Amino acid sequence: MPQKQLKKQIKKDDKKDKIAAIIMLSPVVFLLLICSIYPFIWMFRYVCYDYNGFQATFTGTRNFTRMLSDTTFWNSVGHTFEYALYKLIFIIPLALVCAVLLNQKIRGTSVFRAIYFMPTVISSSISGMIFTFIFATQNGILNGILMALGMDAPIQWLTSTDFVMSAVTVLAVWGGFGNYMLYFITGMNVISEDVYEAAKIDGANGIQTFFRITLPMLSPILKVVLMLAITGAFKDYEAIMVLTQGGPGNRSMVMFLYIYNLIFGSGLTNMTQPQIGYGALLSVVAAIIVGIVTIAYQRIAKKLDDVM
Amino acid sequence: MEKSRAVMSGKQKAVMFVIWVLMVILAIITIFPVVYIVLGSFKSNVELLVGGSNIFPSEWHFENYVQAWTGAKFATYTWNSVVISVGVMLISLFISTMAGYVFSRSHFRGKNLIYGIFVAFMFINVGSVSIRPLFELATAVHLTESLIPIILISVGTGQATYIFLSRGFVDSVPKELDEAAKIDGCTFFQTFIKIILPVLKPVMGTIALLSFRQGWNEYIMPLVFTMSRDNLRPLTVGVNMLKATGGGAAAWNVMFAGASIAVVPMLIIYIIFNRNFMSGSTAGAVKG
Repeated sequence: MPQKQLKKQIKKDDKKDKIAAIIMLSPVVFLLLICSIYPFIWMFRYVCYDYNGFQATFTGTRNFTRMLSDTTFWNSVGHTFEYALYKLIFIIPLALVCAVLLNQKIRGTSVFRAIYFMPTVISSSISGMIFTFIFATQNGILNGILMALGMDAPIQWLTSTDFVMSAVTVLAVWGGFGNYMLYFITGMNVISEDVYEAAKIDGANGIQTFFRITLPMLSPILKVVLMLAITGAFKDYEAIMVLTQGGPGNRSMVMFLYIYNLIFGSGLTNMTQPQIGYGALLSVVAAIIVGIVTIAYQRIAKKLDDVM
Repeated sequence: MEKSRAVMSGKQKAVMFVIWVLMVILAIITIFPVVYIVLGSFKSNVELLVGGSNIFPSEWHFENYVQAWTGAKFATYTWNSVVISVGVMLISLFISTMAGYVFSRSHFRGKNLIYGIFVAFMFINVGSVSIRPLFELATAVHLTESLIPIILISVGTGQATYIFLSRGFVDSVPKELDEAAKIDGCTFFQTFIKIILPVLKPVMGTIALLSFRQGWNEYIMPLVFTMSRDNLRPLTVGVNMLKATGGGAAAWNVMFAGASIAVVPMLIIYIIFNRNFMSGSTAGAVKG
């Protein structure tokens, strides 16, 4: 009899614990529902509508046909790929080299590491703004320094279609390389000190050690970091929004910035009418594009694995 | 250390020195924009508009800050930034450690499904479109006159990482601790407060830093929410608005001072806690 009672008591406690658990989990689930799931479903609701924030009218496939012939959108997709490529080819090697060098016994390693990582704690909206001052054509410090060094005419960093992507890339690399460097350093800590000792005894020099040991042993980490860097680059638009507003002439318009302008009316001063339905459709397409890139990257990474 | 230095040849020493110089140059380039904006905030507006290559002010104009603080409403913006980031930090700390504990220790139907949805939504990114329904929702429930929706949305978009961090940490805490507490008569919630939370201190430090930074640096979402409400703007929005609204072209000194007010507090926190920042950032990426 008492044993049965004890069992009952345990069961009752268990039930109480479960209720407590559900209550404790409810705040995060509530926020997940509101902030992630609800907007996701909402987006699909307006895909076939013309919606300006007040009035929604069903337009069937019109948004879709508009997208197919919307050169601004497809150009922005192209610019997104271009931006991602520029960002990656500078940021990954730079981060990797910094990580390898900081792994050596150099004086002041921790200071260097702290400095290189510093830009990542600054809001990309503020760093975007700082770089508009640096890149300003007439009174920007960069042109000021270049002119002092003997350049004849100021470069139109932000107002010429030839230079704007380099300005955007500089900002992206400045703001992010410390982060990827840190991922590499964390990854390298896994490589055992003994392997390096053995390589040293065998007479390998620094460069040989890097290509024969560090890089191969780092390849799993490299894959993850590349993955994060690619998806990250596709999602960047906050800094570009502040730095160039996608200009001049949409030259630096990336797809998520174009979508933002559609959904909220362009830019800070809110001048055009929002086209939310169309923006929602493009959001779905953009998400699919990012998904395809992610899957394609993983396929390629896997293939490379089989080869190596 | 001593030994390796002793066997270093002259050539190796030279190579090391070159590398060291290159790293110093990179470090200078990295901190240059911040130094430029902070020093520039003491220049006169005329000096900023003329430009040139000198980053030091020819005369120190401290009144730029007075002008930004009182004239351009930066006192209000700073207060809003503080409220948002502290709010995001406190709520994130409380709800994500609780969730991490539940995910690690409790067993009920649907737990893994919920966890899976959290993971899935870390990978689904639809950009700014999600701010629109949230803004309309906040309008419908009459919350747009306060900072509450901004804080809650910021928590909601950042919480997944913090939940994973907490869960990972609770997983590494021996279960015997819970069981001992249970035998002593602690309920599930009491065990969390009395046993788990004290052990979670390191991961709470990380979450506090990351979520504070997230709240402080939030831009596009508060921009949308405060489009017509100047006195709710945080620093990030306020300083960029100043630049966007035509008149800003003439007031570079105020914008420089404003940008410095937005950046320097975060940098001070970073200088104090930089190790925690770095370990937290990688932990978040690895788990997520």
